[in-house]
Amino acid sequence: MSEQDFTVAVFQNEYLPEGGQDVNAIVTVTSPDSGMTAGPGSADAAEVIIVDCSGSMGTPRAKIAQARAATAAAIDVIRDGVAFAVIAGTHVAVGAYPHGGTLVAASPQTRDEAKRAVAGLQPGGGTAIGQWLAMARELFLRSPAAIRHAILLTDGKDEHETPADLTAEIAACEGLFSCDCRGVGTDWVVSELRRVSTGLLGTVDIVPDPAGLTADFGAMMEKAMGKQVADVRLRVWTPQQATLKFVKQVAPAVDDLTARRTQTGPQAGDYPTGAWGAAESRDYHICVRVPAVGVGQEMLAARVSLVVGDMIAGQGLIRAIWTDDEGLSTRINSEVAHYTGQAELAQAIQDGLEARKRGDEDTATSKLGRAVALAQESGNEGTAKLLAKVVDVVDAATGTVRLKKSVDDADEMALDTRSTVTVRTKK
Amino acid sequence: MTEEPADGQSRPCPSCGKPVWPEDNFCESCRAVLTAPGVTAVGTTPVAPVCPHCQSGSISPDGYCESCGRKMPSGRDHAEIDLGQLAGVTDRGVHHYRNEDALALSATNAAAGPVSIAVVCDGVSGSDRGDEASQVAVEAALTVLEPAVRAGLDEATASTQAVQAAQAAVAGIGGPPESSMAQDAPSATFVSAIITTEAVTVCWLGDSRAYWLADGNPPTGQQLTTDDSLATELVSAGVLSAEEAPESPQAHVVTGWLGADVSDRSARVLRFVPPSAGAVLLCSDGLWNYLPDSADIAARAMPTAQADPLGTARKLVDFALQAGGSDNITVVVAPFPPAASLAANSADPASEPPTQPGARSDDE
Repeated sequence: MSEQDFTVAVFQNEYLPEGGQDVNAIVTVTSPDSGMTAGPGSADAAEVIIVDCSGSMGTPRAKIAQARAATAAAIDVIRDGVAFAVIAGTHVAVGAYPHGGTLVAASPQTRDEAKRAVAGLQPGGGTAIGQWLAMARELFLRSPAAIRHAILLTDGKDEHETPADLTAEIAACEGLFSCDCRGVGTDWVVSELRRVSTGLLGTVDIVPDPAGLTADFGAMMEKAMGKQVADVRLRVWTPQQATLKFVKQVAPAVDDLTARRTQTGPQAGDYPTGAWGAAESRDYHICVRVPAVGVGQEMLAARVSLVVGDMIAGQGLIRAIWTDDEGLSTRINSEVAHYTGQAELAQAIQDGLEARKRGDEDTATSKLGRAVALAQESGNEGTAKLLAKVVDVVDAATGTVRLKKSVDDADEMALDTRSTVTVRTKK
Repeated sequence: MTEEPADGQSRPCPSCGKPVWPEDNFCESCRAVLTAPGVTAVGTTPVAPVCPHCQSGSISPDGYCESCGRKMPSGRDHAEIDLGQLAGVTDRGVHHYRNEDALALSATNAAAGPVSIAVVCDGVSGSDRGDEASQVAVEAALTVLEPAVRAGLDEATASTQAVQAAQAAVAGIGGPPESSMAQDAPSATFVSAIITTEAVTVCWLGDSRAYWLADGNPPTGQQLTTDDSLATELVSAGVLSAEEAPESPQAHVVTGWLGADVSDRSARVLRFVPPSAGAVLLCSDGLWNYLPDSADIAARAMPTAQADPLGTARKLVDFALQAGGSDNITVVVAPFPPAASLAANSADPASEPPTQPGARSDDE
């Protein structure tokens, strides 16, 4: 194993009872400390910042001012040599900097020019997020950079195009660049931005107060600058007659990758994981259904490999061993149990909020109650705090809650956007 | 890598055929014990080239079928060692997914004549690397026993040193991997026997056993070892009867073992002077589970044990497999007195490698 390899650790109970078929495992993938590639160099990265300049950004006036300041802060973090551009988004997309529809290499001079251009951004017009992404895509297509990343800021609903337009544009961008999305205020739609961030392997979050944008943008760009290797894929081999039930990223956040499979061989498929920074660690939950064989037999249920370019950069084995020893087959693997709970937690919150919007208070109370119990049980304090702003918790352990009569929109949207954020098991 | 001496001094490993050099204690390819000519032990053989389950010819380097995912049988699933003057057979059994028993045999000579040496260890289930534990234990023990016996050290001292070496080897493996469900440190039982023309010296820790089987009509059997097990303690405390003990859930809870989480029990040594000709039988609990009464073992072994050690060991292993094979099974048969004439049949082990039926059907 070379020092450039990812480490892959598999946590599972490999023992199945007689006739057992479902094999669950948590696969922890950690990227190397450094030197993953032959030094990506600044020229290997490209950044596009997309700033919503629709008319609503002018109300209150501070919103556009904070967006300008945040964009300037992000520009300051871009390393010398990284190709970058700023797009002003309305019902169309306009190159705010540079003007020629290209990317420009970051330098003290170009960063200053960009900040001056950003300072002149004025609100006015509509919102067509697909148009913004299309311009970013065209910019990235002309760039040879391996690591391509965008930051998208909006404050409103995607009104000036159809949902199908946005869906088609997300599909066109998939695999070309990753995109972190931020919604400022409470007039934007969580599900819309989540479609963008999920499709483009990024994050989504709410910045309720425009004053918080600068710090958030700076941090986001710092993280983007730390990415060292692009287009890492998780390759999963399974035996004949086996079914891969799901492949989910479960830490740092839940992201179901099952439908993102690209077949790479008769028994193998790749799942995209995007770009990785140094010493970054993520957990995946993989569930395989295998044909049951006799007690005492062992089967390889899945071989999980990290693929960078054409190279296998680490692998782990998910095994199945059939036993008639119930003491072995009934053991619960703590990692698998923990992340099964975290995925259920995210789902319960989304279902609960959805029911609440529909006016189905019974379902909302039961789902959000279940979420409170799961958050408590797993020590997910961040989510527990967000839940407590939407429901009155009577008894966390049993999940007994009452819906709050009035809930701040920002609190509800924060719970929705952050529902997928998980905590790791205490080791 | 060790320094390789000029070619020409190497000989083929009796177990796998790869070249080995005179100073090697073990074959670097298959881990067979090479301490002296005529000595061999269980090693792992290369995986079968064709999957016995789906007939795919594509096997991954880590031993899984690239088509159906099944683990390929290893040489250790069933292995036989025939040194002429003694022989041993080990088998994975029916219900366990790997063989955690190991054995090492030696047919050697001391000043007083031919000597048979045998070591059997059984990886304790519930410890994650029981297979590794038993293997390093038999290797370490034989590495000590073989030269000690040839040098004329008294057998009891040699046995004590050997079990200490085995203990150190097992403790040196380290703990279970972090990702494993098994929480216990690797551990194994131990039983050894040194059979000279005058006496039998056995040494044990755990519940692997040594029996004396006497020629006669009917043949008689005598268990030389006393299990370090909860069942045995309960019998001696009068809580269970000897008849109830094998049926009790405690029958397999060992109270002494080799390993890092070492028990407070130390190995016991017994010197036994046989009154007549006969044979010594060493076995793991995979056999005595099905034949708890030593008279039954004697009845099945004795007609052939002296003339055909390998055939007798095979027969007993087959019996345990037919009876259910719930555990790994290992049987060693060593006639007394050790018969050098038998040993002469396989003086050159390279010409008669142990049989390794790698692709036996172990389906459902």
